Amino acid sequence: MKRIVIDPFTRLEGHGRIDIFLDDAGDVANAYLRIPELRGFEKFCEGRPVEELPRITPRICGVCPSAHHMASTKAVDAVFHVDPPPVAKKVRELYYCAHMCHSHIAHFYALAAPDFVLGPTSDPAQRNILGLIAKVGVDIGLEVIKNRANAQHIQEVIGGKATHSVCGLPGGVSKAITEEERADFEDKAKTMVEFGKFSLKLFSDVVLSNKEYADLILGDIYYMTSYYMGMVDANNKVNFYDGDIRVVDPEGKEVVKFKPADYLDIIAEHTEPWTYLKFPFLKKIGWKGLVDGMDSGVYRVAPLARLNVADGMATPLAQAEYEKMYSTLGGKPAHHTLANHWARLIELQYAAERLLELCQDKEITDPNVRTLPTATPTEGVGVVEAPRGTLFHHYQTDANGMVEKVNLIVATGNNNAAMCISIKKAAQGLIKAGKVVTEGILNMIEMAYRAYDPCMACATHSLPGQMPLEVVIYDKEGKELDRLSQYIT
Amino acid sequence: MRTLVLGLGNPILSDDSVGFRVVQELRARLDKPDLTLVESSASGLSLLDLITGYDKLVIIDAIKTEGGEAGKIYRLGAENLGAIRHSASPHDINLATALELGRKLGVALPRQIIILAIEVIDVTTFSEKCTPEVERAIPLAVSMVAEELDSG
Repeated sequence: MKRIVIDPFTRLEGHGRIDIFLDDAGDVANAYLRIPELRGFEKFCEGRPVEELPRITPRICGVCPSAHHMASTKAVDAVFHVDPPPVAKKVRELYYCAHMCHSHIAHFYALAAPDFVLGPTSDPAQRNILGLIAKVGVDIGLEVIKNRANAQHIQEVIGGKATHSVCGLPGGVSKAITEEERADFEDKAKTMVEFGKFSLKLFSDVVLSNKEYADLILGDIYYMTSYYMGMVDANNKVNFYDGDIRVVDPEGKEVVKFKPADYLDIIAEHTEPWTYLKFPFLKKIGWKGLVDGMDSGVYRVAPLARLNVADGMATPLAQAEYEKMYSTLGGKPAHHTLANHWARLIELQYAAERLLELCQDKEITDPNVRTLPTATPTEGVGVVEAPRGTLFHHYQTDANGMVEKVNLIVATGNNNAAMCISIKKAAQGLIKAGKVVTEGILNMIEMAYRAYDPCMACATHSLPGQMPLEVVIYDKEGKELDRLSQYIT
Repeated sequence: MRTLVLGLGNPILSDDSVGFRVVQELRARLDKPDLTLVESSASGLSLLDLITGYDKLVIIDAIKTEGGEAGKIYRLGAENLGAIRHSASPHDINLATALELGRKLGVALPRQIIILAIEVIDVTTFSEKCTPEVERAIPLAVSMVAEELDSG
């Protein structure tokens, strides 16, 4: 097989790329995922007041800005060595649960569900939210829009602005929740709990009861073993906003539980010559290449990982669904990548229940939402569970609080190695010995990548609007055989 | 006629801020009743929330086309977005799909939708400034929007 050098300096024009290389037998030898990189972020932040970062970092991503806002706010707390009052933490968590609801609803209905409801090999013109509505009905479409908008509304009221929040301050939040707001949030949270139930039922009726889809989820193409990482509370239950970070091995045994500030003892980043995006891995196990299994330091984050590392969900409806999922998948931890979509809905259920709990908390309208920092700023780490996985923000400042260094490990970055491995496995399972590669097959390879709900922030707002993906297949000589571009004709 | 002028983009990603810049200039210049000027980084479903309840919508955004000349401004209608509707994007739905979804769900969408798309160069470097070619296009884009508003 001809050795091809993929030049990382070849500009990826605003889209990601999967390059698949075939060997002499026409089987898949290798597959590479390349994502264009945003440049100059650290330089952009240097010299700025660190308390500006919660307003700057959300600009990295137009889709999960609230995750960056929260991780950044917590990092700034740490830089200033200040602990927010209890009600401030509850307000932040309430806001953050609303964000998880809105994000998970959007992902499931706009991106994941179409693959299952319409079929993974169906016409791409139909395989989107429009096709979904045509199949399941306009009423469901309206429910999706309504619940998503409700969650967004809660975020906006607490956050102070649509999309890019400004409420996070060192030591607390900018304003308390009024009783009128609380009552409104409580109503919306109740409908969201019901919508969570509805979504899980839809998944059960449409996906799990369909043998073809159930086989896809349980089958080999989308199966890989790995370590898992996620945030847990004091009882080792999933928590999106705060807690320690737990890592389990492919058999489910705890490897380590660490505090955000210690992340550099646990995680290191590997670089490859063919991509700008680094590969975080567990230092203790080591980097063994793009391989899965017990001996490889590759770990995964995001919904399935979070449920794998936790001992359960902290709310009753979500807990029942958690048990049902593991019983169906044959135990914990579950290595079936497509089960991320199921886990995502269980998380939606938990986020809605937790949101309601916080709305009903007696303290939630308490006006004492800020502790003013007094210590000299130095360095701090803030971590949250973004919808797509564990998100690390690490800042260093001078004695005046001006930024000197910024390091981020974004959720999707944590999954970089796993995405490459998953894509390769899917490709190997679907493309064999001279088989004609159809668009449907290429979409199924993309499904391996979509299960991680990756957030590729760049070019998010220039038309056509989102960052699309191109899949290119090369023969053993490096000659292009086929190309799927699902974005522009 | 309730009009929304919506500048889309990212204010810290070089040329991706051009939509915001045009709206900022307009805000300094114009003060009409029934005119709302908004800068937003929303996309997909979130955009649908923003545009309901207006009669006319003018969107200003960055665009990258193959072999396009930086600074060139295209005037597009919603019908031009049809070709890119097929995007199986990794995250969120695109504008065309959002509009079609709104129509299917009976959402009160603007009857008139105009898109001014400015050809850009760099949307991957963090900076609060546009590249020179794109900076030069801003005053023309501002005039074009003002013309759209006058035409009714």
